[in-house]
Amino acid sequence: MAAVTAAQPRSSKTESYVDNKRKEDIRQANIIAARSVADAVRTSLGPKGMDKMISTANGEVIITNDGATILNKMEVLQPAAKMLVELSKSQDAAAGDGTTTVVVVAGALLKQCLSLLSHGIHPTVISDSLHKASTKAVDVLTAMAVPLELSDRESLIKSASTSLNSKVVSQYSTLLAPLAVDSVLSVVDPEKPDMVDLRDIKIVKKHGGTVDDTQLIKGLVFDKKASHAAGGPTRMENAKIAVIQFQISPPKTDIEQSIVVSDYSQMDRILKEERNYILGMIKKIKATGCNVLLIQKSILRDAVTDLSLHYLAKAKIMVIKDVERDDIEFITKTLNCLPIANIEHFRAEKLGHAELVEEVSIGDAKIVKVTGIKDMGRTTTVLVRGSNQLVIDEAERSLHDALCVVRCLVSKRFLIAGGGAPEIELSRQLGAWSKVLHGMEGYCVKSFAEALEVIPYTLAENAGLNPIAIVTELRNRHAQGEINAGINVRKGQITNILEENVVQPLLVSTSAITLATECVRMILKIDDIVNVR
Amino acid sequence: MAIERILKDDASEEKGERARMASFVGAIAITDLVKTTLGPKGMDKILQSTGRGQAVTVTNDGATILKSLHIDNPAAKVLIDISKVQDDEVGDGTTSVVVLAGELLREAEKLVAAKIHPMTIISGYRMAAECARNALLQRVVDNKENAEKFKLDLMKIAMTTLSSKILSQDKVHFAQLAVDAVMRLKGSTNLEAIQIIKKPGGSLKDSFLDEGFILDKKIGLGQPKRIENAKILVANTAMDTDKVKIYGARVRVDSMSKVAEIEGAEKEKMREKVQKIIAHGINCFVNRQLIYNFPEELFADAGILAIEHADFDGIERLALVTGGEIASTFDNPESVKLGHCKLIEEIMIGEDKLIHFSGVEMGQACTIVLRGASHHVLDEAERSLHDALCVLSQTVNDTRVVLGGGWPEMVMAKAVDELARQTPGKKSHAIEAFSRALVAIPTIIADNAGLDSADLVAQLRAEHHKEGCNAGIDVISGSVGDMAELGISESFKVKQAVLLSATEAAEMILRVDEIITCAPRKREDRM
Repeated sequence: MAAVTAAQPRSSKTESYVDNKRKEDIRQANIIAARSVADAVRTSLGPKGMDKMISTANGEVIITNDGATILNKMEVLQPAAKMLVELSKSQDAAAGDGTTTVVVVAGALLKQCLSLLSHGIHPTVISDSLHKASTKAVDVLTAMAVPLELSDRESLIKSASTSLNSKVVSQYSTLLAPLAVDSVLSVVDPEKPDMVDLRDIKIVKKHGGTVDDTQLIKGLVFDKKASHAAGGPTRMENAKIAVIQFQISPPKTDIEQSIVVSDYSQMDRILKEERNYILGMIKKIKATGCNVLLIQKSILRDAVTDLSLHYLAKAKIMVIKDVERDDIEFITKTLNCLPIANIEHFRAEKLGHAELVEEVSIGDAKIVKVTGIKDMGRTTTVLVRGSNQLVIDEAERSLHDALCVVRCLVSKRFLIAGGGAPEIELSRQLGAWSKVLHGMEGYCVKSFAEALEVIPYTLAENAGLNPIAIVTELRNRHAQGEINAGINVRKGQITNILEENVVQPLLVSTSAITLATECVRMILKIDDIVNVR
Repeated sequence: MAIERILKDDASEEKGERARMASFVGAIAITDLVKTTLGPKGMDKILQSTGRGQAVTVTNDGATILKSLHIDNPAAKVLIDISKVQDDEVGDGTTSVVVLAGELLREAEKLVAAKIHPMTIISGYRMAAECARNALLQRVVDNKENAEKFKLDLMKIAMTTLSSKILSQDKVHFAQLAVDAVMRLKGSTNLEAIQIIKKPGGSLKDSFLDEGFILDKKIGLGQPKRIENAKILVANTAMDTDKVKIYGARVRVDSMSKVAEIEGAEKEKMREKVQKIIAHGINCFVNRQLIYNFPEELFADAGILAIEHADFDGIERLALVTGGEIASTFDNPESVKLGHCKLIEEIMIGEDKLIHFSGVEMGQACTIVLRGASHHVLDEAERSLHDALCVLSQTVNDTRVVLGGGWPEMVMAKAVDELARQTPGKKSHAIEAFSRALVAIPTIIADNAGLDSADLVAQLRAEHHKEGCNAGIDVISGSVGDMAELGISESFKVKQAVLLSATEAAEMILRVDEIITCAPRKREDRM
């Protein structure tokens, strides 16, 4: 009943005279601005996507393929364009990967919207239809997905390497993918199997070597030297480690203080007292059997002085100083120890135990490694190496994406094919669905379906293939029921993409679709830009 | 010459016709700006800040748009004020009130042009407003007695309010959230007990209502992550050091060991303070200020969960919901009121860890966690939800409900038209004009939805000629529909506030016959 009455008055839209000139202009401007942002990152999609070089305002150079990073560094001013930047950030937060995909999809949707608007369809109608289409799309994707067991390490590695393949470091994907999988799996808490906190995985970047030398370390790595000042030990077996938050230096009160020296003999005495004071502290430390000290950075006074370092070296205690306060939680969690904030509380039960603490020199720099930790917490450290800073940074970003991919799989255990296969399948199924719908809705859903073809199209284009030939063939294969047919960029042809081990988590695809639609709908609903205070 | 210099330089004066014109133009310009946001298919605006950072807000909320505008027209400022008042009083209908006032002025302008004295118009408007209110009063539905039905009413109102906002797609979900939250309040309008936390990521559908309180903070190192039957002390005290806060105070000593002693004494003082706090018999300590490493360790040793650096808003709410008081001295444990809750635990939302207090003293308290694609979405969602919560809490107090979708306006317009016909004299023109202004609201709703407003409103008027009709504009199908069947309701209180304050504002602006602009205060030259 409602549907019948609906069709009739809507067609009479043009009968009443409403001046919409300004609104149309604003909407058009918004869409064009947002699309130009999408076009900027389009070429970086897919395994053969290109990288962007960004030179920031302060002269720093970044080379990256990560959509979120590119957009983040682009200083866009237009409000609608800013929303696209936000969109890629949200995808980064929600899934960690697919940050380029989400922007490209949004761009394609906007393009379709522009043509729908020019046909005189009301923006809210388009917006509602997009919402319907996206819910349907998620259903279709879920139906396509293949369930996965966490014990299936092979599949996890496959999806991590799919994510890595599109990055600068793709040639190292055989190394980095298992590494990402292992590190995520090692921090999964058996009690809460769906939750992974990526903060439990610490990435330490160190200049020198190549990405090949990147390794997973079961233990801790400090990007610092052990203190050499007084020839202290740099290698310690059967280490007993204390994390201290107090300072081993002459006392200092919080109120301003001054020591009055009235004659020469007093000066001597003060020096001696200072020595005794420090010696007293070190003796207490030594008494607990501690032989490695991690000292938190202090801004109020020196964490250690030359004098205390000297005594510590004599007492054969290895010292690592200037540990950031933010890192303390991670360290104590890993070492399974407690931070000590006062010398009075220095007790043996607060120490952590490790088989070996040693200073290792890699390249021309030195790091400290803690391995063989007893009762180690669920944390892990990855040491990323690279020949120059740009490569290391990009490797870190790529690794982060790969970690996110694995995390997605841990929280939502479904895999889906990559290589444009899900998008083309969606496009096909939604296209079929649109024929069942009535009125404007059907028309808008059809446009949504067409917009999704942008992903395989761009993939093919970026790989230097003939996009039209590829997309049409892909469509043909899917129409014949090969739902897993996708673009094999390496071979430059259409193959069953699941067999090629190109897989990605379901969460990445679904969140890309829902987030992109949400953002496009918001842009559509805007009819004015007001300058305010 | 001397007469011309009554006012200072830069001060200006506009009189009579010109003054009235200026205020009409200003008010109507404002109305036209927010007009397009009205109704379920209203559009949003981007607010681009010209200040530093060029922050961008996307909104549909009339009050938010108006609040942030640069305005230099006194009449326009009056309209912004009524929208603010509407926001404070009832929370929703902020756009409607401005649009109605604007339309009243638009009609008044025509009447003034037809040489009707403003005072006549005002008295006509007054009569019309009174009559409109009575007409609406006769048609209200009150389901106070029937709890089941009343809850259904609330649900409908929430859905109607939300349908014009960003949350419209998931309005059933959010309406349920809002109704549940308001029902917990048990009649109080203290929205403070409902906490809204925004976390980017996920989609709007993932938003949820949780009983208790969520604090966006981390638990100190080495302290228990889960506490049952917690006794909470909420404090605002310095936990770094108790310094002598006299400028220039310093200690003079003559040896290093003395310095060490003083340092020891300082530590001892801190320890004493911590001991005193522990002596309250608590197992959770929340401080507004930093807790340094040393006290943190002491708390960890005592097995007490210590949370540092909670913000002002956070501790005030926490104190409110757990039934505790904010303490800053700890000498008399018996006089300090502790907060209680059944369970404190760390939870993870998105990528962040938060602390969840459940089973709190104040049973009304609850938290709504909003999830969404971006900050823009979240901010707008919060504003929308806030509107819904305000309306609902008002409705719980004043349970009268009317239908929505342009229905109340048509009912009022009909009654006002009747009145116009019975009233002799010039006033009747003003009363008639009032009815036209009322009809403008359904017209705008239809226009915004891209429908043929002229046709629809004519249909609607014809429908309303019948007794006891429930017809309104069904924007979704684009036709005239039965509002009662479609479940579109609004709170009577909101409608009444819209009607009365819009009339009042229009009256105020109409009375103006002179605008005096004072000379701007000169900034002192510091040269």
